[in-house]
Amino acid sequence: MQVLNARHNRDAFIAGCRDAFGVPAAVLLAGMLGFGALGHASGLTLGLTTATSVLMFALPGQVVFVEMMAVGASGLAIVVATALTAARFLPMTLTLVPQIPKHDRDRWLYGTAHLISMTSWAVMMRDFGKIPPDRRRAYFTGFGLVCWGSSLPGTALGYLLAGFLPLPLTIGLIMINPLFFLLGFTEVKAQAYRLALLAGGISGPLVYTIAPSWSILICGILGGTAAFLVDLSLRRR
Amino acid sequence: MASLTTLIDQPIFWGWIVLILAALGTYLWRGLGVLLSGKISQEGALFRWITCVTYAMVAALVVRIIVLPVGALSQVSLSYRLIAVAAALVVMVSRKNALVPALATGTLLMVVFGLLEGLH
Repeated sequence: MQVLNARHNRDAFIAGCRDAFGVPAAVLLAGMLGFGALGHASGLTLGLTTATSVLMFALPGQVVFVEMMAVGASGLAIVVATALTAARFLPMTLTLVPQIPKHDRDRWLYGTAHLISMTSWAVMMRDFGKIPPDRRRAYFTGFGLVCWGSSLPGTALGYLLAGFLPLPLTIGLIMINPLFFLLGFTEVKAQAYRLALLAGGISGPLVYTIAPSWSILICGILGGTAAFLVDLSLRRR
Repeated sequence: MASLTTLIDQPIFWGWIVLILAALGTYLWRGLGVLLSGKISQEGALFRWITCVTYAMVAALVVRIIVLPVGALSQVSLSYRLIAVAAALVVMVSRKNALVPALATGTLLMVVFGLLEGLH
């Protein structure tokens, strides 16, 4: 991590770009390749599929968008369902931004916030503690830009290759994304957060079968609060 | 005027409108997060609670994608998916810095399982 001794924001920005090239960008690229293939299979145009990645930049919501478009769901239903899937970005942003010093928070942060994805969030949650606070914003911007930048070529390539890639290979590519986050969970050390992962992971599929659109919100708020309280009571003992 | 009516009659036009609204609905949460973040201190209990909620949300989503996938993943049976995930997790915790080998293990197993399912 070159950012540790970065003396200027420029160096931190470049370090962020460099760290994103590699596993994070590759994981995103694989997910976007799979998404591009899905857009093709669902009968969407190349332009619309690619724009989905650039404008939404949130794979689970993108998948919901394409699947609902393909079955001809109403526009309102599609917007509500994708917006609900994206609810995680509120707490994700709320846990990321307070780690950036107040004097580094200006209006540009509203633009930078679009670069927050599961990938950039997971890496920042792991590494922000090791990065000097004054360099975090520049580092995140570089990292997020490379991730965002990889979404366009990834989606377009996946769309164009869709007819040629064997299905097992596409399945392997699609698996890389959720697997990356699941593996990342093993690096979460704090007891409260481990409990939260457990509560969310167990309740996620169960609640989804009852209330698919609302499941992330329900599991997050109930599971997260339960984990927070259990951790509190365990530590009081 | 005639060209406008033909434009809005095309499904692709509505596709773009819905996409722009869906993208705004997605961004809304990020923007709201920036707006509210000034009220939250990194050291407080509120921050820890929100972090718990986030981890629970992310875990709920990731496990749901693996257990109840929509799209191509669903064509490989659940038991195969779980074996691939378990193998990747074992590689991940077996030694330090094992992210890449763990990812490769899980991905390759999914490709093999896809072939075993007779997909092509």
